[in-house]
Amino acid sequence: MRVTTTRGPAGRWPLVRPWLGVAARLGLAAVWLYAGATKVGDLAASGRAVNAYQVMPYEVATAIGAALPFVELALGLLLLAGLATRLSAGISAALLVVFVAGIASAWARGLAIDCGCFGSGGQLAAGQSPSYLPEILRDLGFLALAGFLLIWPRTPFSVDGWLAGDPSVEDDDEQS
Amino acid sequence: MSSRKGRNQAARVVREQIAREKRRKRTLWTSVGAVVVLVIAGLIGWSVYSSQKSDTFTAPPGANDAGTGIVLGTGPVTIDLYEDYLCPACKQFQQTSGETVNQLVSAGKARVVFHPVAYLNRFSTTEYSTRSSAASGCAAKGGRFKEFTDALFAQQPAEGSAGLSNDQLIDIGAGVGLNRDDFGSCVRDGTYTAWTEHVTDDASKAGVTGTPTIKVNGTAVEDRSPAGITAAVEAAGK
Repeated sequence: MRVTTTRGPAGRWPLVRPWLGVAARLGLAAVWLYAGATKVGDLAASGRAVNAYQVMPYEVATAIGAALPFVELALGLLLLAGLATRLSAGISAALLVVFVAGIASAWARGLAIDCGCFGSGGQLAAGQSPSYLPEILRDLGFLALAGFLLIWPRTPFSVDGWLAGDPSVEDDDEQS
Repeated sequence: MSSRKGRNQAARVVREQIAREKRRKRTLWTSVGAVVVLVIAGLIGWSVYSSQKSDTFTAPPGANDAGTGIVLGTGPVTIDLYEDYLCPACKQFQQTSGETVNQLVSAGKARVVFHPVAYLNRFSTTEYSTRSSAASGCAAKGGRFKEFTDALFAQQPAEGSAGLSNDQLIDIGAGVGLNRDDFGSCVRDGTYTAWTEHVTDDASKAGVTGTPTIKVNGTAVEDRSPAGITAAVEAAGK
């Protein structure tokens, strides 16, 4: 879909695409770094936020809640450096799909929780209403960034490009 | 001529194949490296969390048998209150329905198990939730849990602030009649910090995802108004 909209001015696309790619990569990196940083200070609370979704046993939720902030930070660093970009984008997309599914299921089951996406999390106080739709739309926006990098992983100023020796080369079979 | 062209073509195909093979290997190794980084990151998180967890705790006097809260009163119906001293909605609940709960206890209709959970450590810069909860354990030891709890809610610090300092907590404790030396050293030493963790952990396991949570005989009460609490206790007492 992105191909059809952007192939219009065919001449400009090859010039613009690498910079869109850098923006997508750094944007997604910022999302993960921020998400991890807001959670890493209180791992028990992160576990409670996962537990609030009520989709897994408490022990599993706390283990995932403790591991998740560090994985998010690591993913952010990989994207920041541009190392294994396609794989990082793929894992980002997979995580985001899981998050969207989690929020949607909380919504469907009528739970009143904060998604815990960036810190906080858990059940909302009385009178507060959940904001599931904005949370899902935001995650879909991040998913679009990940999708861009999945399709075009090679961006300027990346370790991937540096390792390849020629960052401008178009190699579609790269990283597939 | 044509055979030479063929040889060139063959050489190019071989070169491209070698280049592709190189790229493939490079991609494989960077991918393996990235996956290793992510797995190690997850394991770090898990081990940090495990090392933070303490296995042993001492419940203060006045706690229930499971050591998950402080018991007030002896009535037949049990009201479980899960509250964080930093939580504004908890303060509000105490203001509107606290007196009703007191009356139910003094009328002998219900007993209260107060669980001082530390859910909101992220909303103070000094882990006020844990410190205040552990201090409430010290107050229970000194026999002034209820008074100390009421005083803490009355002087609740704002979310996002540093919270009350240990010295301020000790002043509040002394103000409700606790022995300044005993209570002070208990607060400073964090005697009941491990207990607070146990209380918080148990509440999470019990499905308490937010504060305040009020349960009457184990069932969560949605209507936290005085009338709602009274009705729930009446219904449970029948």
